[in-house]
Amino acid sequence: MAFERRKRKESSESALQSLADEELMALVAKGQSRAFETIYERHGGAAFSLAYRMCGSRSLAEDVAQEAFLSIWRSGGRYDRARGSVRTWVLGIVHNRAIDTLRRTVVHERRRASDEGIEERFEARERTEVEAARREEASTIRGMLETLPDEQSRVIELAYFGGFTHAEIAEMLGAPIGTVKGRMRLGLEKLRGQLAPQGAMP
Amino acid sequence: MITGGNGDHARFGDDVAPWLLGALATEEREAFERHLSACARCREEVAALRPAVEALPLAAPPVAPSPDLRDRIMRVVESEAQLLEAAGQTADRPEARKRRRPARRWLGSVSPSLAAAACALVVAVGVGGYLIGQSGSEGGGARVVAAKVSFPAARASVRTEGERASLQLANMPPPPRGRVYQVWLKNDGQMPRPTRALFVVRSGAVAIPGGIADADQVLVTAEPPGGSMVPTSQPVIAADTA
Repeated sequence: MAFERRKRKESSESALQSLADEELMALVAKGQSRAFETIYERHGGAAFSLAYRMCGSRSLAEDVAQEAFLSIWRSGGRYDRARGSVRTWVLGIVHNRAIDTLRRTVVHERRRASDEGIEERFEARERTEVEAARREEASTIRGMLETLPDEQSRVIELAYFGGFTHAEIAEMLGAPIGTVKGRMRLGLEKLRGQLAPQGAMP
Repeated sequence: MITGGNGDHARFGDDVAPWLLGALATEEREAFERHLSACARCREEVAALRPAVEALPLAAPPVAPSPDLRDRIMRVVESEAQLLEAAGQTADRPEARKRRRPARRWLGSVSPSLAAAACALVVAVGVGGYLIGQSGSEGGGARVVAAKVSFPAARASVRTEGERASLQLANMPPPPRGRVYQVWLKNDGQMPRPTRALFVVRSGAVAIPGGIADADQVLVTAEPPGGSMVPTSQPVIAADTA
């Protein structure tokens, strides 16, 4: 069966590779599995990396990535290019699946998972230029996060990667909820400023 | 009670950043999203901060998934693609696109064609399954509709009376380990909508909170505890309530 799959794949692979993500999603919406596989090839690595960063364990991260990609397959028609890139959409789905998973997990386990996740372990080896570019991109964004005041980067990391609610974060840090929300906003504003240093964005 | 008005901005304005980061609890999130749909100022703030949040996932250190993951995903995808193909072109109705319901911002839903294919499967399974009673009224304005069930010994029906609705069950097998049954409402050409009706009971009545309104179909799938926003498995019960 694997052989047959490969054979069919070869016939259309190069054609699919040349398509943009948005064009592939239109095929996914029609139930074309090869187009979906190409989407997985392009974004599966970033998706798994995010899930792993959030869940701190391979098995949880694989469950999250699997659920997310199956929901992407089943909701292909849902993608709306006006709302952003396919990559952003895919990562948004992974993020929310991971949050659901984290919120189902016992708190002390989550805390451990989120601590582990902060360490950079089991990094993908730089085998390809794409991976090298990904690593560079990751380190650029991390660099931007590091320039934020600690109190701001911490609430952003706990919320986005840790899956904690603002109330849980307030309790952990012994800070009022309003303060936590304010730090989130300030941190995101600063980050936004760094992404578009010239203020060129509307 | 109107909670979505612009006058609430003072109350909800601080939630823009926590919402974007996914840091609101479920109820807060729902309240904020209602407000957001009515508050242009919050939408502007969301648009301004969103690029920062969209950059965050890219900060995750690259970790390679195992090749098994791809195989597992593609096995499911291939089998569903075949199902879809078997369901044929009629499953892919264009009007389904236009009538799509707004979804939560991140949640996909099953594509209309796949949902139709899934339903086709249930019907096919239902032939070998059990069909109890007939549609009809049960005195006092109650209406009972027999459901198709994919387990031969199990029976199910949907009972509606005014605004209230429930699922009546007999001899259902327990859901797969670590799963619960979840009730979905579906209209023709649309994706199934999740309900809060989750159950593991095998016999008895399960209330469907909020009733079934004008749903054409009531479906049941096995889902992770807490339920899903999109079905993650094939329906095991389907009742035509149109």
